[in-house]
Amino acid sequence: MSNSSSIKNKVEKKKKQDAKQYNRHTLKILKGNFAAAEGAKLCRTGFIPAYPITPQTTIVEALSDMVGRGEMDATFINMDSEHSVFAAAMGASLAGERVFTATSGQGLFYAHEVLHAIAHFRLPIVICNVGRPSIPWNIWSDQTDSLSQRDTGWVQFYGESSQEVLDDIIQGYFIAEKLDLPVMIVLDAFYQSHTSENVWVPDINLIDEFLPAKEKTGSEIDVSNPKSYGGLIPTEHYEKFNIKFWQDINKVEDLTNEIGKKFGDLFGREYSAVEAVNIKPETKMILVTLSSITTTARGVLKQHPEVGLLKLRLFKPFPKKSVLKILNHVSNNCIIVNIERNFLGDNEGAIMHEMKRALYGSSFKMYDVYTGLGGKDVPPSTIEKIIRKTFNAPEDVVWIDFE
Amino acid sequence: MLEVRGHARGGQGMVTAFEILAKIFSHSGKYQVQAFPAFGVERTGAPIQAFLRISKEPILNRSNVYHPHLILVFDEALIEQVPVFDGIRSGGSVLFNTDRDPEEFSGKADKIYTIPATKISLEKGLGSKSLPIVNAAMIGAVIKILDADINIAKQIIGNNVPSKPVENMKAAEVAYNSLTGIDSINKFLLGSIETGNDGEETLLLADEQKKQFLVQLEEIPKVPYWSQPMSLNKTGNWRVLTPTYVTRDAPCTTNCPAGTDVRKFVDLTSEKKFVEAYDVIYEHNPFPSVCGRVCPHFCEQNCNRMELDEGLNIGSIERFLGDRSFKSELKSYKITQKEKIAVVGAGPAGLTAALRLTEKGYPTTVFEALPYAGGMMRTGIPEFRLPKNILDEEIKRIERQGVNIILNKKVTVKELENDFNAVIVAVGSHIGSKMNIPDEDIVLDGIVFLHNFKMKNDNQGVSKDDEVAIIGGGNTAIDVARTILRLGGKPTIYYRRTRKEMPAIAHEVDEALAEGVEIKFLTAPVGISKNDRIDLTLIDMELGEPDESGRRRPVPIKGSESTVTADKIIAAIGQKPDDFVFAGNEIKASQGKIEYDASVAVFCSGDMAWGGTVTEAIGSGNKVAEEVNAFFRGEPYSHEETEKDIVIPAELNFAYYLPTSRTQNPVKKSRDFYNDFDEVIKGLTESEILIESKRCLHCGDCFSCGNCYNYCPDAAIFIDEENRLRIDYDYCKGCGICAQECPCSAINFQMNEVVL
Repeated sequence: MSNSSSIKNKVEKKKKQDAKQYNRHTLKILKGNFAAAEGAKLCRTGFIPAYPITPQTTIVEALSDMVGRGEMDATFINMDSEHSVFAAAMGASLAGERVFTATSGQGLFYAHEVLHAIAHFRLPIVICNVGRPSIPWNIWSDQTDSLSQRDTGWVQFYGESSQEVLDDIIQGYFIAEKLDLPVMIVLDAFYQSHTSENVWVPDINLIDEFLPAKEKTGSEIDVSNPKSYGGLIPTEHYEKFNIKFWQDINKVEDLTNEIGKKFGDLFGREYSAVEAVNIKPETKMILVTLSSITTTARGVLKQHPEVGLLKLRLFKPFPKKSVLKILNHVSNNCIIVNIERNFLGDNEGAIMHEMKRALYGSSFKMYDVYTGLGGKDVPPSTIEKIIRKTFNAPEDVVWIDFE
Repeated sequence: MLEVRGHARGGQGMVTAFEILAKIFSHSGKYQVQAFPAFGVERTGAPIQAFLRISKEPILNRSNVYHPHLILVFDEALIEQVPVFDGIRSGGSVLFNTDRDPEEFSGKADKIYTIPATKISLEKGLGSKSLPIVNAAMIGAVIKILDADINIAKQIIGNNVPSKPVENMKAAEVAYNSLTGIDSINKFLLGSIETGNDGEETLLLADEQKKQFLVQLEEIPKVPYWSQPMSLNKTGNWRVLTPTYVTRDAPCTTNCPAGTDVRKFVDLTSEKKFVEAYDVIYEHNPFPSVCGRVCPHFCEQNCNRMELDEGLNIGSIERFLGDRSFKSELKSYKITQKEKIAVVGAGPAGLTAALRLTEKGYPTTVFEALPYAGGMMRTGIPEFRLPKNILDEEIKRIERQGVNIILNKKVTVKELENDFNAVIVAVGSHIGSKMNIPDEDIVLDGIVFLHNFKMKNDNQGVSKDDEVAIIGGGNTAIDVARTILRLGGKPTIYYRRTRKEMPAIAHEVDEALAEGVEIKFLTAPVGISKNDRIDLTLIDMELGEPDESGRRRPVPIKGSESTVTADKIIAAIGQKPDDFVFAGNEIKASQGKIEYDASVAVFCSGDMAWGGTVTEAIGSGNKVAEEVNAFFRGEPYSHEETEKDIVIPAELNFAYYLPTSRTQNPVKKSRDFYNDFDEVIKGLTESEILIESKRCLHCGDCFSCGNCYNYCPDAAIFIDEENRLRIDYDYCKGCGICAQECPCSAINFQMNEVVL
């Protein structure tokens, strides 16, 4: 026992160090969904329309509890469908509220029509989507749902950990309200949403310093100054709205990097649009990943000094500048392998589409690997197989578990 | 990095335990943790898994744990069901919840720990015997093995369990202290926390080469459909509520006093299996042609189809089956029993009892006072309702099967006691009751009137255009009135209650009214005076409180007397048995064996015992035969009815039945029934019978409509080798759609496991 008490002393010492590292934070063990709810609460969201769908449900349930207990000054409404949820979110946001909700799979597909409207009404709504596929029917982890909505005009972040999901919501509101664009934070079903892990939860006054109260833009609904929304735009004016959107969406990547740095200064955790792991000029292979697969790939990379990892945190608008900046220093003989947990009914997955667009004109060899669809576990051995297969017998597109 | 895998049953608290362990080990701030369940659609009692990683370094793996250092088994019975030891690391350990010693598990892992977590938890009142919540005790043991601080652990347990924090904390402490021995603290496991991810991918790749777990693409259809249970997902273990096919009681069958399986013969009829359908009736009722005509059709009275459109015309189906079967083959029976049975009275009860006993091998003789068999069916029911030849045919069949009828023999029990071992008295109720008013002797008795007219063609002084007053509201009153009408008279029925209380069969009343019979309600005779015609004094009645029959008692209204004049007065207010058989002794007749001073056992049956309709008499005959047989065989016999599980309209799914109207019998219509004694109600044709029988809702009896088969989302319903719909419980997830969509309530859906 004397041994364990000396361990305890060391622990106390280390704990103080950690506490210093994340000043004004509390260490909690949280599941991804609860970290998301915590994030929405800390950002002082005022309106939460909700409709349950596995594996998202515990997010809105946790928020409902928080509102019920009086921990949040928010209006929580149970709606009759996801289409209604997003319509209500749109209305409340038009009225000037800071709005949050969460959905998944079929819920997001059903809301598709309103997603366009929210983006082009320029409403700074932040949501979480816990990814799952459609048909063949399945409730497990898959990014087909959110990636199929990439052209709706929403900014998309893919979180790798519960910590990142919480931090992304905070930064998401900042970006959304700065540029009047909606932001979708995506987390993997179950491997993230239902996994308990270490999360440093910031004190709310820290967030208040970073994220000011939502400012009025003047375009809100105001009963003393009635306005009409959604009227018919004549052909000669239509593009003007598109141009304004285009100008702002083009600012997202830089703002993400800028605000990620600022967030790091204040919170102690720095973020950027993309993250390069072990990418050097002589790197022979780069794996491109989203969300939870990134973590497992990081582990496998320890056995493979010749392999690097490119994590896409911001996916939409695609962070072309950041990607090019990283690959600029890499030899042209390096192979790029995109790991796709999505199936958009095309030869290649969504990451490959975007990477090819970004790297148009370059001479990198690029390959695409489908894995982990419908929630299939992606253990380290799968990453290992991807590395070996692509080095030995590369093919354009591979289903790694089917020889 | 320490990797832990747990195996438990849903409800034992394992997922919570793993989250609590993560909190305990992260509490120091020294370790990264990760805890998650294997995500399925689990339910209480189903085998589940959870994973825990503890590491000094960041955890760089988000996949399931395939090569654990430590395996926790929350229920030792899982060893038989789940490959719990798969992939255990060399040097790894297993902790079992068991009362047994670690030695009993030797060879399963390099180090075995056992802890009686169930016992500890139940002592602290955690969970139930069938599902003890053992998580706190398991945590306590892990805290010991991994040399963590039990006080911090207890505090975190107390803050994180959903209920009973103190008991859970105590259970953890008891478990912590009971895991003794110098090597309880596991250095190998503690060491793994400090090191990084040690070659998991190499181990996994080796696994893959050993296993053939890849599903071949050719086995998967292009479209995600399945016409048989989806072999990719055995959803049976999701089930909490279980559907089962059941056969429940139909109101028609349960309501038949004869005990006929009505639903079954209607079903066989709809399949054009007329012979089999007839046999089903005959099993309980040897008079289908008679009952198809004169029974009040108890079966139709509660027909659930009345809630949808109109009840089934079951009487006509029975009549059709009876009429086409007069010439059909019959079984004959050998005498196998020594006891000789005498039956007194050749009415429906006596003949049915005699037939049943003959079937059972008893030598049986029926004694009939009259020169003809049939009892009230013969003498009390007019020709226009029941033609003689129909009754003759059905009695002939009974005789052909070996029942011996001796006519013109009015006997007493005493006369029979030397020659027989049992006497069944079934003499019916043929003596008309009196009205108990002055000068009643000039009033004719309805039941005698019907008998004399039918059997002797004696119209008893009723002339054409006579006005005839009939007193009563039963079938006899109606039959008398309709007979008078056919004799050219003008019948008026006087009944002391209202139409609603009339005991006569409703459609007979309708027909009588349609033919021109007049009925005066709420009036009763109080006096008669004879002059050249007859003055009948009546008093108006009103309905008071219900009497013992449940009908409202008629109460005279003072001062409301009035007088009508008629040519004849006929009373039909009830009948009683002829006590000759008991030598004039007044005997309280009741169904079955009675106390009577005789050297043989004496039983009563038929109208004299209970009922008052042909079908009730038949049922009474069946029962008395059972009782006589039980008596001689020394077997127990009870008059108690077994409890029925009758399908009610609310349990049927009417949306699946097409509304169709009842096929009505043609009814003879005429401006004048004078001298017209033809049968009034005609039968249905074969094609009409098929249409009508197909209207049956099959209450509580699967008719293979296939709704369950079509709706089952897991294709878990199949058709077996006997062409029956059956449920494959490996795939039935207990959603209940089959039970919901079953039109006829033939699927039970309850909280109980099916034992196959």
